[in-house]
Amino acid sequence: MEIAFWIFSAITVLGAIFAITLRNLFHCLLSLIISLLGIAGFYLLLFADFFAMIQAFVYVGAIAVLMIFAIMLTHHVMGDEGPREVLGGKWWAGMGTAAIVAGLLWAIIRKDQLAQVLPAQGAGVPYTKFVETIGRALVMDWIVPFEAMAVLLTAALIGAIVIALEEVIRKR
Amino acid sequence: MSVPLGHYLMLSAFLFAIGLCGALSRKNAIIVLMGIEIMFNAGILNFIAFWHYKYFASPTAQMFAIFAIAIAAAESAIGLALVIAVYRHYRSVDLDEMKSLRS
Repeated sequence: MEIAFWIFSAITVLGAIFAITLRNLFHCLLSLIISLLGIAGFYLLLFADFFAMIQAFVYVGAIAVLMIFAIMLTHHVMGDEGPREVLGGKWWAGMGTAAIVAGLLWAIIRKDQLAQVLPAQGAGVPYTKFVETIGRALVMDWIVPFEAMAVLLTAALIGAIVIALEEVIRKR
Repeated sequence: MSVPLGHYLMLSAFLFAIGLCGALSRKNAIIVLMGIEIMFNAGILNFIAFWHYKYFASPTAQMFAIFAIAIAAAESAIGLALVIAVYRHYRSVDLDEMKSLRS
């Protein structure tokens, strides 16, 4: 268990670091995919296998493909190494903010007694009950947020199409 | 022995900081969106870790994680559509060149 945790955390953190530091956009995207798959591995370790599947389908299957389309529509090619200058104008401010946030979170978590002593649960529950529980909760107690989410996704779909098709509409 | 909850919290704090650094310091709009996705994932990992260690019997944390994933998908679709629209206008996705509001 513990070895798996360290392996997955190395994959996830290195993938995330490469995703934001590499120069070529496609390499960034591939690193991001590896990092997201590492997070799916954490979900398996935490007995949330349903979420590992969702992670693989939604993030790796859908969002990564969307990003591939966006990269191919906005950049000319796979071969070029990208611009010389990859950092934005005030990059030092961004990195400083990120370092401060990391330090604060680290200090808070380190102080927290709960995080240190709490043992893992989940030994006694039968493994097949999880998905059933999620499904029942989703259509009984959480039906209103579920429907709201359906409306939100439909609105996002239509909105994305309208925003991306702006030019075509204007031409008519 | 299994790892304590603090390890997961530390890991997702670190991932969040990496995503924040990428979102704030890179110039390309698509990489900024990737940084935001990393931050989303760090948050969702926290939900699942707390569910596993503390509220194992109740599905509430999992519901939050499902809705967060759905919202992340919607955000990603809208964000990439915006990137494409901005590219049509400026012929570039460089965030430093989008300064028409800045005079």
